[in-house]
Amino acid sequence: MKDWGEKEKELIKYVEQLDEENVLKLADELLNAGMDPLYLLDLVNEGMNRVGKLYESKDYYIADLIMAGLIFKQVLGLDKMIAQFQVGQINKIGKVLLGTVKGDIHDIGKDIFRGMLEANGFDVMDLGVDVPKEMFLKKYEEYAPHILGLSGVLTTTVDTMKEVVDAFVQAGVRDKVRIIAGGNHLTAEACRYIGADGFASDASVGVKICKEWMSCAGGQGAIHHG
Amino acid sequence: MARERTQLFRDVIDGNIPKRVPVCVSFSIEFAIQYAGKNLAEAQWDTGQLEEIFDQICRDFYSDLLPVNAFRFPSFYKLLGARNFVMSSNGFLQHPEVEGLLQEEYDDFIASPYNCIIEKILPRLYTELDTDAATRALALAKAFKAFHDEMGNAVMIYGRLNQKYGYADINLFAGFTEAPFDFVADQLRGFKGISTDIRRVPDKVEAAVDAATPLMIKAGLQPFASKYNATFIPLHMAPFMRTKDFERFYWPSFKKLVDALAEAGHPSYLFVEHDWMRYLDHLYELPAGTIMRFEYGDPKLVKEKLGDKHIISGFYPVALLKTGTRQQCIDKAKEIIDILAPGGRYIFDFDKVPITLDSLNVENARAVLDYVAANAGY
Repeated sequence: MKDWGEKEKELIKYVEQLDEENVLKLADELLNAGMDPLYLLDLVNEGMNRVGKLYESKDYYIADLIMAGLIFKQVLGLDKMIAQFQVGQINKIGKVLLGTVKGDIHDIGKDIFRGMLEANGFDVMDLGVDVPKEMFLKKYEEYAPHILGLSGVLTTTVDTMKEVVDAFVQAGVRDKVRIIAGGNHLTAEACRYIGADGFASDASVGVKICKEWMSCAGGQGAIHHG
Repeated sequence: MARERTQLFRDVIDGNIPKRVPVCVSFSIEFAIQYAGKNLAEAQWDTGQLEEIFDQICRDFYSDLLPVNAFRFPSFYKLLGARNFVMSSNGFLQHPEVEGLLQEEYDDFIASPYNCIIEKILPRLYTELDTDAATRALALAKAFKAFHDEMGNAVMIYGRLNQKYGYADINLFAGFTEAPFDFVADQLRGFKGISTDIRRVPDKVEAAVDAATPLMIKAGLQPFASKYNATFIPLHMAPFMRTKDFERFYWPSFKKLVDALAEAGHPSYLFVEHDWMRYLDHLYELPAGTIMRFEYGDPKLVKEKLGDKHIISGFYPVALLKTGTRQQCIDKAKEIIDILAPGGRYIFDFDKVPITLDSLNVENARAVLDYVAANAGY
């Protein structure tokens, strides 16, 4: 394999600094010089991990994560990346069905979570906002995700999320899927009340949980005890 | 009773130690409707039921100030075809992510914010204004008629409830405005839009925020100056930004706004949303006597840093009212009061407005409010 040397480090650094213009310029340059798109994706992911660390250390905030998501999307949108994606399906590490629960029309947290999941190799089906429990169930049957992600901002969504989980219990499919609840207002207690397997008030934590689930149980809920 | 309660707030505002910590909580219109057992969507449309609905809140929850306050009714938003305030399927009116101004239109806004709002932004946010001049004029007239009808009705109800229950005669919502950066974010560019703009076109964001500032000052002015009537400013974006970005894009114009209102004789009542602990030194710089209701953070630190200069409120976690036992809830109130009450300059309030009935356990909320009313004497 060709040695890309300093350029690799540079790309990672640009991603880390959220320097949109230079990320795109350099990514394009590297792809045109023959870099394997999958390898480039690894580099970008490395930069994104650093962004995540800066977020954890409170050097970056949500506004910065939004920028990071946008840069990531644009890298995926480069011609050579699109070509790669169309030819060979990249090995996805899991499927996540995601939506903001009924009664709530907020989408920013959900979109950040989605962007970070995709950046981490998940395939995501996003049902949008104000999603009724029936829709979650219907799409679950069609898409057969490993993980169900329920998002909400309004404090009232604790009960709505519980209703979705209850609907999955009633339909007899609760044990077949891991459920994660996401929202700033959630606590361990609220999570137990909802009946979810995990919760996150922070998208990066949510992604970590999902990755752990996929790595320890093949995503099939083998150690599920909800 | 009204006089005694008014005195509690006047003392706090004047920097004197009141007889007791004043209690100022409020419940959303949605909470009130559900508490009264009415249909959420219907009762917001048919506001004839409103008095009876609000009355039940006043009757059952202790507060020294009127505990209900609604100013967004679906009628006028619907007449305008609003995209910035929309009802969800269960009847809950919310502010979705909107883009009233495109990124390439920044220069128009900077050159003439008022014209740009009229010509570009309003038609984009309100679909019924995106038509020919005559239809648009009619839509606007209808919406304003509805607005004045609804607000007139609401204000009359508030007046009657104030009298009936003897609430304090001060007003923390006598004016309403937004921090200039929040205005640009919430109404013009959206949360996502502004977050990318501050990296892509930072100079334009800065100029747009400056251009919006005189409009935000004007919006926040009240007809008469009184130190007992505040202009409400709900703060939004600051905790989601880097400190560096905050200092450049958010703070200077916001400080200018609060200073200008203070100069005109209007104190500001800030809802300090989310966690502002990084910015306490900034908040200290605001004019003395600014009322700040905090959501999250460390009450001790806030008292220590701001307690001598500003008036502190909030911090009581509504979430605990849902999950805690009665005793835990009361203990929490005691804990917060012990920190914030010494020396005065403190108004008891929840960390956020309970938005729906299931946000809390009603018995807990009542127990806490009664506890504070009976036990928070100086």
